[in-house]
Amino acid sequence: MRTRSHEPIVWSLFGAGGVFAALLGTMLVLIIGILVPMGLGFGPDAMHYDTLRSLFGHPLPALGLAVVISLFLFHGAHRIYHTLHDLGIPASKKIMLACYGSAAAGSGAALLLAGMLVVF
Amino acid sequence: MSQTRTIMIECLRYDPEQDQAPHYRTYEVPFTDEMSVLEGLQYIKDHLDGSLTFRWSCRMAICGSCGCMVNHQPILSCQSFLRDYYPARIRVEPLEHFPIVKDLVIDQSDFLGKLESVTPYLVPAQPLTPEDGPNLQTPRQIEDYLGYAQCINCLLCYAACPQYGLNNEFTGPAALALLARYNADSRDAGQKTRMEVVNAEEGVWGCTLVGLCSEVCPKHVDPARAINRNKINSTQDYFLRFLAPFGRGS
Amino acid sequence: MTPAPKTYVRPMNRWWMRHPAYRRYLLREGTSVMVAAYALFLLAGMVCLVLGEAAFNLWRGFLQSPVSVIFHLAALAAFAFHAWTWFKVMPLTTPPIRFRGRSVPDRMIFRAALWAWGIASLILLVLAMRFL
Ligand code: SF4
Ligand code: FES
Repeated sequence: MRTRSHEPIVWSLFGAGGVFAALLGTMLVLIIGILVPMGLGFGPDAMHYDTLRSLFGHPLPALGLAVVISLFLFHGAHRIYHTLHDLGIPASKKIMLACYGSAAAGSGAALLLAGMLVVF
Repeated sequence: MSQTRTIMIECLRYDPEQDQAPHYRTYEVPFTDEMSVLEGLQYIKDHLDGSLTFRWSCRMAICGSCGCMVNHQPILSCQSFLRDYYPARIRVEPLEHFPIVKDLVIDQSDFLGKLESVTPYLVPAQPLTPEDGPNLQTPRQIEDYLGYAQCINCLLCYAACPQYGLNNEFTGPAALALLARYNADSRDAGQKTRMEVVNAEEGVWGCTLVGLCSEVCPKHVDPARAINRNKINSTQDYFLRFLAPFGRGS
Repeated sequence: MTPAPKTYVRPMNRWWMRHPAYRRYLLREGTSVMVAAYALFLLAGMVCLVLGEAAFNLWRGFLQSPVSVIFHLAALAAFAFHAWTWFKVMPLTTPPIRFRGRSVPDRMIFRAALWAWGIASLILLVLAMRFL
């Protein structure tokens, strides 16, 4: 009897993150990093503190942002873990823990921050 | 009549009784337009160096024994033509990721073990006898597996797979494609045994979808597709067993 | 039993030098570093937003700097390459899709995915212009 791999757990998260990154990533980066700072289609007051506070005071946008961050992190962790193996750093429990552990920690932080934005 | 030109063939040589490591020897080979790489090697063996060792049989891309690397690309040497490389020189090496037995001959016993591990034959639901009559399939049912059934075990896909090279525990492209082939067959009822192979770390989870296996396959088997579709099945199997504790199909 | 023949096993060092497809593969996997980095950047933004206006204005001000523009251009390239390659291999992973009894060819799935990419981006842009 062969031992069952637990890869499906992280692979699902990796896949979900990959879909989000593919569908939304480019536009997200374009808006935040290029269009808003250069004022292309956005006024100088875009992404003002007050605007974002009130936007992410609603549970849905706050949770959405946290989920996107979390899935991006798991997507990255999964590929980085396997690519390290490809580059000659053999897969080990330690590296696995470092990769997925930091993704989990980041996800926890994102959810916590989302909660704080909604509550306070 | 096509004219004769001369191409340089640099060939990996390894004699287990003499050499610690492989080395390269270059041969000047006259060739005509219709000559394959295999015929180039045969010219070397017949006229320049009788000790050069390589496998071949059918010379028509069906036996799967003449695979080798040309300029780091896995190919069937009977199906690739010297004219397509000329005037550049070519470098011929045994299939990557396999131990070299001698010159271009590799040891494929690891693959044969893997092939066996995927139960590569029909497992009927109940034992059948000739009295039961023919086991009929519709064209649509044949279509479900016919592509995967074209494999000639040439191992080009293994030579293209760095994951197999990095960790030869990985079951690998051709064996996993054959696994998918039998699972997709309407006459088969052996999915449950094969699922164990699929679900293992050495099963589909050893694949990171480099994808070169499907590109080099001379029979368009598309092992990358077979493997990655089974990742979905394996994931379903992983999570659904919590919903149905008695397992699928029982 | 005859002893197993002595064989030679070739090393795998610098295996990616052997084929351009391997380098394309590593580049594809490498985009994930940018995806993770961008997630951390957004996370930093969230932290600043929670900390208050002064902290957030630092993060917001950074967006105006050349370093940020370079970072975002690199991220843009990475996300775009990720999306392209992701959709390209998607047909290999999705279960066979049939339409009127015929299986849908890969390039149709790829094209549909590109449309989804465009539409999702447009929706995000419209929402951003409305709410930011
Ligand atoms: S899947 Fe293709 S490349 Fe691999 S052994 Fe079979 S025929 Fe050869
Ligand atoms: S000699 Fe048979 S496949 Fe090339």
